[in-house]
Amino acid sequence: MSTTTSPQPDAHGAQPRLTASSARGLRKTYGSGASAVQALDGVDVDFAAGAFTAIMGPSGSGKSTLMHLLAGLDQATAGTVLLGETDITRLGDDDLTHLRRDRVGFVFQSFNLLPMFTAEQNVLLPLELAGAKPDREWYDLLVTTLGLRERLTHRPSELSGGQQQRVAIARALVTRPDVVFADEPTGNLDSRSGAEVLSFLRRSVRELGRTVIMVTHDPTAAAYADRVVLLADGRIAGDIVDPTPESVLAGLDALRQLEAPVPGGVSA
Amino acid sequence: MLRLTLAQMRRSLGRLTAAAIAIAIGTGFVAATLLTGNVITRSSYDSVTASLAKADLVLTGDASGRLDAIRAVPGVAAADPVVRGGVELSNGGSRSWQLAVPVASSPSLSTLTIADGTAPSAVDEIALPADAAERIKARIGGTVTATYWTWDEADGTDTQHEVTLTVTGITSDPGGAWTGYGGAAMGTLDAVVLWSGDTESGLGSNGVLVRTAPDAPSTVRAALADAAPGARVLTRDEAAQERIEELGGGENFLVAAVLGFAAIALVVAGLVIANTFQVIVAQRTRTLALLRCVGAVRSQLRRSVLLEAGILGLAASAVGVVLGTGVAQGALSVLRNVQTEMPLPRVVPMSAAVVIAPLVVGVVVTVLAALVPARAATQVSPVAALRPMDAPAVATRAGKVRLGVALLLGLGGTAGLVLAVAGSLLTRSGTMLWLALGILSGAVSFIGILVGAVFWVPRTVALVGRLLGSAGPAARLAAANTVRNPRRTAATSTALLIGVTLVALMSTGAASARLSMSAELDEQYQVDIAVTPASGTALEAGTLAAVADVPGVERAVDVPTAPVTVGDSWFTAHSLTPEVVAVLHDDSVAEAVTDSNVVVPQSVAAGESGSASTAMVSRLDPETSEPVAGGTPTQLDVTVLASSTFADAFLAPRTFAALGGGDVPTTTVWARIASDADAAAVVDEVREALGDASVIVESPVSSRLQFEQVIDTLLAIVVALLGVAVVIALVGVANTLSLSVIERRRESATLRAIGLTRRRLRLSLATEGVLISGVGGVLGAVIGVLYGWAGAAVVFGGLGSAGLAVPWRDLGIILVVALGAGLLASVLPARSAVRTPPVAALAVE
Repeated sequence: MSTTTSPQPDAHGAQPRLTASSARGLRKTYGSGASAVQALDGVDVDFAAGAFTAIMGPSGSGKSTLMHLLAGLDQATAGTVLLGETDITRLGDDDLTHLRRDRVGFVFQSFNLLPMFTAEQNVLLPLELAGAKPDREWYDLLVTTLGLRERLTHRPSELSGGQQQRVAIARALVTRPDVVFADEPTGNLDSRSGAEVLSFLRRSVRELGRTVIMVTHDPTAAAYADRVVLLADGRIAGDIVDPTPESVLAGLDALRQLEAPVPGGVSA
Repeated sequence: MLRLTLAQMRRSLGRLTAAAIAIAIGTGFVAATLLTGNVITRSSYDSVTASLAKADLVLTGDASGRLDAIRAVPGVAAADPVVRGGVELSNGGSRSWQLAVPVASSPSLSTLTIADGTAPSAVDEIALPADAAERIKARIGGTVTATYWTWDEADGTDTQHEVTLTVTGITSDPGGAWTGYGGAAMGTLDAVVLWSGDTESGLGSNGVLVRTAPDAPSTVRAALADAAPGARVLTRDEAAQERIEELGGGENFLVAAVLGFAAIALVVAGLVIANTFQVIVAQRTRTLALLRCVGAVRSQLRRSVLLEAGILGLAASAVGVVLGTGVAQGALSVLRNVQTEMPLPRVVPMSAAVVIAPLVVGVVVTVLAALVPARAATQVSPVAALRPMDAPAVATRAGKVRLGVALLLGLGGTAGLVLAVAGSLLTRSGTMLWLALGILSGAVSFIGILVGAVFWVPRTVALVGRLLGSAGPAARLAAANTVRNPRRTAATSTALLIGVTLVALMSTGAASARLSMSAELDEQYQVDIAVTPASGTALEAGTLAAVADVPGVERAVDVPTAPVTVGDSWFTAHSLTPEVVAVLHDDSVAEAVTDSNVVVPQSVAAGESGSASTAMVSRLDPETSEPVAGGTPTQLDVTVLASSTFADAFLAPRTFAALGGGDVPTTTVWARIASDADAAAVVDEVREALGDASVIVESPVSSRLQFEQVIDTLLAIVVALLGVAVVIALVGVANTLSLSVIERRRESATLRAIGLTRRRLRLSLATEGVLISGVGGVLGAVIGVLYGWAGAAVVFGGLGSAGLAVPWRDLGIILVVALGAGLLASVLPARSAVRTPPVAALAVE
């Protein structure tokens, strides 16, 4: 695909806020007939480039589904998803795979490193899949920033959870993707390692000019972001700019009150 | 615990199915083999009982002269002597020897029925089996010429008789009593006695068949014994049993040999099962730990795994028995339609052993294979339930004891094998002893190789994988994946290696045997084609020209030949003219012959002392075996030619002429086949060119072809039998790959999420399959060739000429099959792998 006129990848911070990813009229239904579950029900949302955005919501609000669709991991039932200016809902599997490889990075809750490869091999894997040469300078910067220098020859089983997640972040950033998607990146970490990982994600936005979209249910984690998008019942239910843990909690409480009268709300 | 075991089995159904296929194929093999044994036993029993017709009692031993007494016993409805005669039948140019039995005195004692025409009623009549009638082109109402011989006791001479017989009918042998003889002709009792060279008074000397009346008293047996004191009275069943025992347990040996191959298939199946259970246990670590947490003791877990293996083994073996029975029945039905010579039962004869043996063997193999995984299950600590789990890790450390045992067996066996080869080559005797040592130490070293597989197979795979790794990320992924679980990779590769090694061993052995024997035959037969008269003393005039004219015959020569005596020994002597030298394959004879000697072969001259004594040589008259009229016996040096394998003597032309007696008739034509001609076809054409002229055409080419045919047939059978083991091993490769795919579900999804295309994921799995099967295949082929050479060296080294051949074509096929199957084995697992949506990478278990 050569329709890539996404925001200047190397713009450091202060550029006008272009849109890195956006959704229009996005719907996702699981199952059919009586057992159909409406996971997303007409979502319109934009994510700014060069920003750290958190998607929050109670269990079953559709936040993970939204992220899967934004990242091209799943097919939407209706609506469009743009990554930069590419309509990814129109792409076939191979094109989607290449798009993920070249323009998207992932950080998973359970790290998902390949156990048979060393930390270095794991970090370089996306480049290897693309058959591209690593940009040594960028790689060194990542390794230094994430404090992995001493750990490069270790296999995942020899690393702590926090270290594994840092390797995963380096892997997500090594291709200089347009957007990094992080799914509960601190879910399997203790609070100290979690805080470390979140500040790395923030630094990668502030200092390295990346775009990060993170799904979380932890208000403290969400407070690291520049903006929090609140989701409830498959719809956008709120937007908090420059969040603090307190403002996020307040927003969530408001959601809960909104939800309370709904009988038998969607649950995980 | 049973309920839990069953529940766990249900969850692992897919994984267990692959293991079940392996064990079912193995036990099916056993069942089919046992059934084949039953069919053989049954059909030989049928044929034996058919030869007893409907006799109720059988007198065996000598009852000659007692026939009337036997017939007079109250309750005997009919009694016939057992008589078999042979007669050579000819009609025009075609001849055929035919077994003949007499017309029975009662239909109940007849083994034959008349399918067409009538039974013979006079001594110059005969009824023929359909095949024989067709072969000699005889028709009902027509005549055939019968030749038989009688032996005159008085003057000790054999007299040949020729009579003309009228064909009265066509016999059929519904019970298959005479299938081993190509059916039987029927003549009157007198005629058959005549043909058999027997006398009337000898009737009954081969036993008597007795049909009793329906209301015969029970004393009839005792009465018969009194009537024929020289014979034993047996019931029909006793007689059949006795006859079968006389035939010997040939089929038992056959069944035992085939069961050996079934055992190999089962060992391979055992490896596949051990693999599967290891993975199943590893995948259940969490569940097992939970069970430990809630109070299950170790022995309960072990029992659960073994119970699971037992249930699996039983179910799969039952499927195997059904499978084996189906295959045997199918083959039997096809055989019944294809060939009519052997009377075959319509339905495979079942027996308890056919069902029970495979079940027991299947369960035992499965449970044994699950022993190690069961131990692994008991070693799961309860804490494991509380830890987050990634891909299950199977114990990968192999003990030093194992290494020691492997080295001991491997090196010890190899040393024994080397000793056997050296011993056979150096001593050139005691081949059987060296062979026994070779087989024993070969088996020991192979066990060593297998025991040590966990050390060296993964290393080899890693090495090959590293070489492949440069081919791209998919290959590098595959290479990294194959060495993740060395023990499993080793077991999978080894399963294939066993089958491939044995196939390669067999085909190398066969190729070497072919080469060695071919060299042997070349040495033995220095002449490609030898034509001699079948009877009489001279060849027809046109013979030489006829042979020479056949395309592909390089040159043909009339070899001056005459019988001679050298001292006391009798030889056929040839004059070694330059033309004769030109058709011989080597110069050893030409070099030995001088103007003053006679060259004799060592084999015949063994008794003569020294190699250059002298002897009186005189030419004989072939008719009278007396010195020929006008001959000049000559004193000549006797040269014994050790290397010659001729049975004939050679003389220089001048010496030959000096023996006197005038010109010799043409009695021997030798020919040499052009090196670029198809030897077998040339020999056939020579035979055809000489047509009905009564000559004997001898050629090592045909004995070589016959020999090669035997080797090829045996090889094909053995390879087909071993093929079962290879098929099971390939099921194992597919099984290992699909287990890996299941285990690595999240990894695959991660790779897909970060940019691995479906095609590349498939490619990666295909590479993994090819790596595992390719390494097993190549190593097996190499090891098999080495064993094959060792075997050939031991066997043929003793005979003097060991040719070591590499059956490139067969090895190529083996490797293509192994690699292709590895590729094929990856298809289904890859399908399920690429179906895993990348979203699964995000799912938390």
